Amino acid sequence: MNTRRNQSPEDSLEPRGDFATTLRDFRSAVHHVAERETSKPAPSGWLISARHRQRIAQRRLVLAWTCAALLCVSLLPILHHAKLVTSQPVAVVQNVANDAEDTALLEQVDNAVSESVPSSLAPLATLDSWSSTTSTNESVTESSLNKPEKKNVAR
Amino acid sequence: MVSTELPPLARAESVLELADFDEVVRLYRPRIFRFLMASLADRDVAESLTQDCFLKAYNARHQFRGESSLGTWLTRIALNLVRDHLRSRRMRFWQRTRDTALDIVDISDWLPDGASSPEAICLQQERVKEIWQSVEKLSRQQRTVFILRFVEELELSEIAETTGMNTSTVKSHLYRALRIVRERATGNSGGEK
Repeated sequence: MNTRRNQSPEDSLEPRGDFATTLRDFRSAVHHVAERETSKPAPSGWLISARHRQRIAQRRLVLAWTCAALLCVSLLPILHHAKLVTSQPVAVVQNVANDAEDTALLEQVDNAVSESVPSSLAPLATLDSWSSTTSTNESVTESSLNKPEKKNVAR
Repeated sequence: MVSTELPPLARAESVLELADFDEVVRLYRPRIFRFLMASLADRDVAESLTQDCFLKAYNARHQFRGESSLGTWLTRIALNLVRDHLRSRRMRFWQRTRDTALDIVDISDWLPDGASSPEAICLQQERVKEIWQSVEKLSRQQRTVFILRFVEELELSEIAETTGMNTSTVKSHLYRALRIVRERATGNSGGEK
């Protein structure tokens, strides 16, 4: 335990003992497999297949972006329509609310109108007759006023 | 064993070296393939990505300024390819079957001579298998640092240059990776000897 505590961080990065041997074996094994796989020299057209693959990948990328763009464009009207559909019920609800308010107001007006005319408003009828009498009186006074003028004219 | 290490090259020499691309492929192909195979544990994918790596290097050969060694530059390209491949594999989660996945037995089958008895050879193979399984379970960064250190035998500064991390981050990843691998390896075999 003490030796582990006294180990510096640099030391802990360098494995020792059996673990170091196992790591060495692991390295040897990986090197061996890699050498076996790459022992044959690369053929002359070795990079052509990579270039072909790269082109295909580029085309796929372009195709994917084009599809995504087309999808977005085609979704726009649908989304717009969906937005309209969702906004319509609100308008309907608002209209219903307005109609209710209007009905209530109309009822209130009807009630007010259909109330019996109070007696204090009765002079309205006499006022009409008064206005008609005043108009006749006015015509009378006018005729009486015109009379002297006529007289003067005759003179 | 074909040496993939070139003697230290001056900047101009390194750029000139890239001009003879067939020679570059001949020298560095085993190293890049080995790194990719150890990282992905898939022979065919490693081969495809090795091709992609050299194709990218060929296309970008004019951008290579010789600031790092050619091996570091190629390993960095391979590292990016591994990252992209793992990302796309995660996206294609329904394609989990790996027909070309490297058989661990294949790896651990071959061991350097020196074991005295069949029991010792068997034990050695078992330990290598456990190391391989533990490496596969490391996180991407831990695995990369581990492979670059213990398979490619790069110095910490070289690993930092290749991965773009600073040295202390490399140390921290390596420390964690080693701890995990040691724990798993010794835990399965009944304790470190």
